[in-house]
Amino acid sequence: MSGGFDRLLDSVVRIDVSELNFEDGARRIDASIGSGVILSQDGLILTNAHVVGPKAVDINVTLSSLERVNAKLIGWDHWTDLSLLKLNPDEVKKRSLAFKHAEFGDSDKLYVGETVYAVGTPHGLTRTVTRGIISNNNRYFEDTEGVDGYETGNFNSWLQTDAAINPGNSGGPLVTEDGRVVGITSRAYLGANNLGFAIPSVIAKRIVAGLVKDGTITRSYIGIIPKALQDLEGFYDLAANSGVLVDSVEAGSPAANAGLRAGDVILAIDGKKVDGRFPEELPMIQNAIASLPVGSTLVLDYKRASNDASATLVTARLDSRMGEEWVSDTWGIGVRKVSRAFARENQLADDTGVLVIGVQRGFPAEIAGLSRGDIITKINQSPVDSLDVVRATDAAYSAKPAPTLFEVQRERRVALVVLKP
Amino acid sequence: MAAASCIAGARAAELPALWAERVKCTVAVEYVTQTELERRPTVAYGTVVDSQGTIILPSAAIDLRVSPSQIRDFKVYVPGDPEGTPAEYLGRDAYTGWHFVRASASIRGRLVPVTAFAAPDGAPETGLADEVWGIGIRNKDEDFMPYILQSRVALVQLLPQRTAIAQQEVAGPGLPVFDRDGRFVGLGASSFGQTFLEFSGADRDGAPIMLVNLEESSAFLVASEVLPYVARIPKNVFGRPLAWLGAYGLEPMDREVAAFLKLESHSGAVVSEVLEGSPAEKAGLKAHDIILGVDGKPLPRFRPDRVVVDYVERLIAAHSPGETMMLSVLRGSDRIELKVLLDEEPRLVREADRMYFEKIGFSAREFVYGDAVARHSKTSELSGVVAHLVKPNGPADVAGLRPDDWIKEIDGAEVPDFASAVKRLSDIEKDPARTETVFLVNRGSETAVLRIKLR
Repeated sequence: MSGGFDRLLDSVVRIDVSELNFEDGARRIDASIGSGVILSQDGLILTNAHVVGPKAVDINVTLSSLERVNAKLIGWDHWTDLSLLKLNPDEVKKRSLAFKHAEFGDSDKLYVGETVYAVGTPHGLTRTVTRGIISNNNRYFEDTEGVDGYETGNFNSWLQTDAAINPGNSGGPLVTEDGRVVGITSRAYLGANNLGFAIPSVIAKRIVAGLVKDGTITRSYIGIIPKALQDLEGFYDLAANSGVLVDSVEAGSPAANAGLRAGDVILAIDGKKVDGRFPEELPMIQNAIASLPVGSTLVLDYKRASNDASATLVTARLDSRMGEEWVSDTWGIGVRKVSRAFARENQLADDTGVLVIGVQRGFPAEIAGLSRGDIITKINQSPVDSLDVVRATDAAYSAKPAPTLFEVQRERRVALVVLKP
Repeated sequence: MAAASCIAGARAAELPALWAERVKCTVAVEYVTQTELERRPTVAYGTVVDSQGTIILPSAAIDLRVSPSQIRDFKVYVPGDPEGTPAEYLGRDAYTGWHFVRASASIRGRLVPVTAFAAPDGAPETGLADEVWGIGIRNKDEDFMPYILQSRVALVQLLPQRTAIAQQEVAGPGLPVFDRDGRFVGLGASSFGQTFLEFSGADRDGAPIMLVNLEESSAFLVASEVLPYVARIPKNVFGRPLAWLGAYGLEPMDREVAAFLKLESHSGAVVSEVLEGSPAEKAGLKAHDIILGVDGKPLPRFRPDRVVVDYVERLIAAHSPGETMMLSVLRGSDRIELKVLLDEEPRLVREADRMYFEKIGFSAREFVYGDAVARHSKTSELSGVVAHLVKPNGPADVAGLRPDDWIKEIDGAEVPDFASAVKRLSDIEKDPARTETVFLVNRGSETAVLRIKLR
């Protein structure tokens, strides 16, 4: 193998993560194993968002020298399933730990059939190398399974490879023979043979730069769900390869406010023609909009029935459906703030309330009849508009336990329950 | 003592005779549910309530979501006789929940109304430990043979109707129960679930499962909950007029909540939503109000608490549209009295028009008030149609149309109502040159453009 490949091997790490979960209505630590690749001499490590996320309480990295060292999360981006970590510099210095760092290759230059290698920690087997080819360099997933409920995959396509990918490979690099990172291995069809997927390096490079700069990736949101036009050009009387169909417009979104409707065909964004004939083309269109700074003014030229029209809208900030989580040890209940996106998806009137994500048996919340899926909208008749309201009531209850009235939304019903010491 | 034991002995000997006479007030009723794609027969058991051959069936005997136009071919069978006689479906009474069926004249001579066995006025009602017996009916392949069930009353409870629970199964649901003297004491209710432990090779510790006996029940509505209402024969198959309040999603207020709100002695029902344009909205009822009383009477306490919801719903059903109903509600810490003018219930799903389109492979159904409520949509603007049934692997199914999708546009044009949808869909089906049609459908919080390729 090449010198580059040897160098790459010395930059791949195993990551042991302890994560705090509230889904049993209690603090529970879950342990998992993943892979990562060191990107810089100051110890930046790229991995998957589903390997290390904000719930991680302990991140332990095993270097190729087999030395172990702690790392912290710099930032994550669940939309592309990427996370950036940094090795503890003091420890690295104190223990004079040595490691190499990898270089990115250009995923846009990959051709189908090109040999690639996946390096990682499948099933805990540290630094395993598997070999395969690029099976498809522009894979589109219609259905995105998400990262622990967080949305994924709307803004990127995937590299598909037949290199063996197993649980634990996640976050490890997919590399060419010269050892350059062309993708971050992130998922595979379990139970299928050799169907693995990686996030292309062109996307990863951009995300790394953003996370280094801001610790987070901010995206623009306009609220349309696009659909490929294939075979509908005749119906909409369009030339082939022009336009993208609006399948859905989210209520209250900038696009809805600008008057866009499902069934409209967007022909150009800011004067630039769009081509959404095939599903594979949708992530790039979505990404082009998402990459604009929040608050950008956007002109959409579109066609409705036989009329051409144009709408001007201002992009909003893209939110996740997943809100902040918290657990009450006294009540035995895990909750998650209702986000605007969650409220919209579930047709709630607004984002008031916290969603119950777990209850612990035998604790006051369970005894009172609260269950997973309930949305707590009021406590002691005051609206729950933030997690702080819940924290404050919990603190008051812990100091002086007294019956507490919860109002919950359960499907379409309003239920009242009293939590008692 | 000798005389007493002699009488008891005589009565015991009479039971088969009492049974044989009272079997004549029971029937099996068969009907067919005919949808676009299938014909499905159903059998239920009922009790004859008058000399006109009127029969009552329990609420669960007919699925309320099915349109009366799709249930047909009613037949009445006298127990033990395999020959059925045609009958007519009269509709469902909202207050009792019973379905009414009328047997044809040719069979009426073989039927005896259950009212013939009513206890004289002032007779005491069935009580704890009373010996009771009732009738069960076997399946069609056994010629609906009648049989006897016997037990004692273990408990009498308000659910919200006065319901006796016997030690064992005492009658088929919808079939009568009698006392030892042959007097009618109640009507078999739907049975309660019983919890059993299920053991299997995989689960040697046993897993609890609940079983419900559909053929026999140990619960029965006592006679005073039955006899005064047997004349509530619906005026039409839809059971109209139907009183409508428009308080959606009533939830019981439990004892802990009552105590917290310093309403220890009260029972109540929380209003989840007040429907747009409803009598409740016009009267000023608000979501999250707690109904504590109706027509000047506080709501009674039930065990379990949730029975109060049925109680309030029955109070509404007991009224007619146009009547007023007084509601005592708690809003925050204020007690408010509201006077509601009840209205006629808006068109229901089971009343909605529907039509099947063979080439496209689905049936369109009129979009009614309840559809708008279910979709969080404005009930004042009813438009579009609902995909009621999607033929498996038909063109609409292949294109991704799902049952309950709300079709808002057909070929790029809005669908204002059912009639225009039917017109447009019929034109599409009639046009041999047509190769596709495009629907815009609403599903949950999203919409989708579906291209249906016609074969």
